[in-house]
Amino acid sequence: MFKLLKKEVSLSMHPTVPIMMCLVFMVLIPNYPYLLICFYTILATFFTCLVGRENNDIIYTMMLPIAKADVVKGRIIFTVCQQMLQMILLVPFIFLSAYLNPIGNQVGTDANIALIGIAFLTYGISNLVFYTVYYKNVGKVGFAFLCTSTVVTIIIIVDIIMSHAWPLYRDVIDCPGTQNITYQLIVLVIGVIGYMILTVMTYKRSVGLFIKQDL
Amino acid sequence: MIKPLEIQKLRKVYPTFTLDNISFSLEPGKITGFIGRNGAGKSTTLNALFNFVNPDAGRVLFWGEDVNTKECEIKQKVGFVSSGVNYYPTKKLKKITTITKMFYHNWDEDAYNRYMHLFKLDENKTPKQLSVGMKIKYALVLALSHKAELLILDEPTSGLDPVSREELLDIFINLSEEGKTILFSTHITSDLEKCADQIVYIKNGQIKADKSIKVFVEEYKLVSFDKEEMSEVQKDLLIGAKKAKTGMTALVSSKRMNELSKSWAVSEATLDDIMIHMEVE
Repeated sequence: MFKLLKKEVSLSMHPTVPIMMCLVFMVLIPNYPYLLICFYTILATFFTCLVGRENNDIIYTMMLPIAKADVVKGRIIFTVCQQMLQMILLVPFIFLSAYLNPIGNQVGTDANIALIGIAFLTYGISNLVFYTVYYKNVGKVGFAFLCTSTVVTIIIIVDIIMSHAWPLYRDVIDCPGTQNITYQLIVLVIGVIGYMILTVMTYKRSVGLFIKQDL
Repeated sequence: MIKPLEIQKLRKVYPTFTLDNISFSLEPGKITGFIGRNGAGKSTTLNALFNFVNPDAGRVLFWGEDVNTKECEIKQKVGFVSSGVNYYPTKKLKKITTITKMFYHNWDEDAYNRYMHLFKLDENKTPKQLSVGMKIKYALVLALSHKAELLILDEPTSGLDPVSREELLDIFINLSEEGKTILFSTHITSDLEKCADQIVYIKNGQIKADKSIKVFVEEYKLVSFDKEEMSEVQKDLLIGAKKAKTGMTALVSSKRMNELSKSWAVSEATLDDIMIHMEVE
């Protein structure tokens, strides 16, 4: 697993991956849809797969002494590491945002612990959509991104609507800093569990599709 | 003796092409040429060996082991070169090597340095900066540095100038003498005459010959004649009759030479002659 991860970082990773990960600072921007941070990270994943197609990344990986399924495993582990690392980086910026912007966010969920749970759920869903479309036909990476960006856009719109229209969400979860921390932690736990389930589903479905595919 | 590679009734159906019941095997330490015209099914067959293409039926055995059950172990002992290094054109060879060698248990750093020096390859160059021949050589270096016992190369000589081709064929001969088994596909038959022991000839997705190159060439003679001289009886003897600069040429089975008109000019058939006339048939 470590070897595959090292190969992903050294040969496959697009330079925008670390840049997009650092966009967690955007939670310091007042009144901004913070889930867009996820969208930029998904864009970096798309760039990695797109450049991989041009660089024959899959052909190279397939020639290594690994099973065909491990090609998928390497890419999904790399994506999960990238997303988890970004969520860890997000934590200090959440507290800094609460300090700098105590009024909260008017466009979607505030920068708080619940946002991490929602971001995890967004990543879980986007990974499922992106990789199951991508591994059905690795040549059509643009279509995989189109499907994923559509779904993520819908999630962002739903998040903005909920933060205004659903009283429970608006009053209890969408609050700055550590207010209602118990509810925020519940959202975080649900998000992490959902992310884990969706990632396992993504891996199993992607492997099944990729193994059947003729390269 | 266990065969390094044995393909049994491999089948792959596409809407416009069928790879039909492909069966052949390799002898240890021998060079086998896999010939056929463009689109005959050579690359599809080679790509099916490691499931780059999923066969609809058939088995692929390496040293008696099914590739689907021992994929990783088998890949440790095989060097598969698919048209040179066409991956990561802007990464330095040094970086590609560093990652590649992590995956091989038998990586031999001394052998790697030796072959890099022998082939005059610079680790600080990128694949983009290498000529076609140098890319093939780098792919060979990677294969040889993990002590591959079997080398499978998809059209390694296409795109090379005559001198580089000759150089590469000499490398194959030397490797064969060291006990390595080599299978390489090509549509340049003169390459095979220089170095191959065996040939496997594929036409329209079917194996037409799998034998020693010497036996294969001796099975046919090339005849030249005028079209008017061709009677109905003699027409049956001819394989792939086609127009030549003067008159016509065709192949005839060596066993049936005595049935042929004495006035026809007969010469030894080359692999090229055999392939060209067989393709006309």
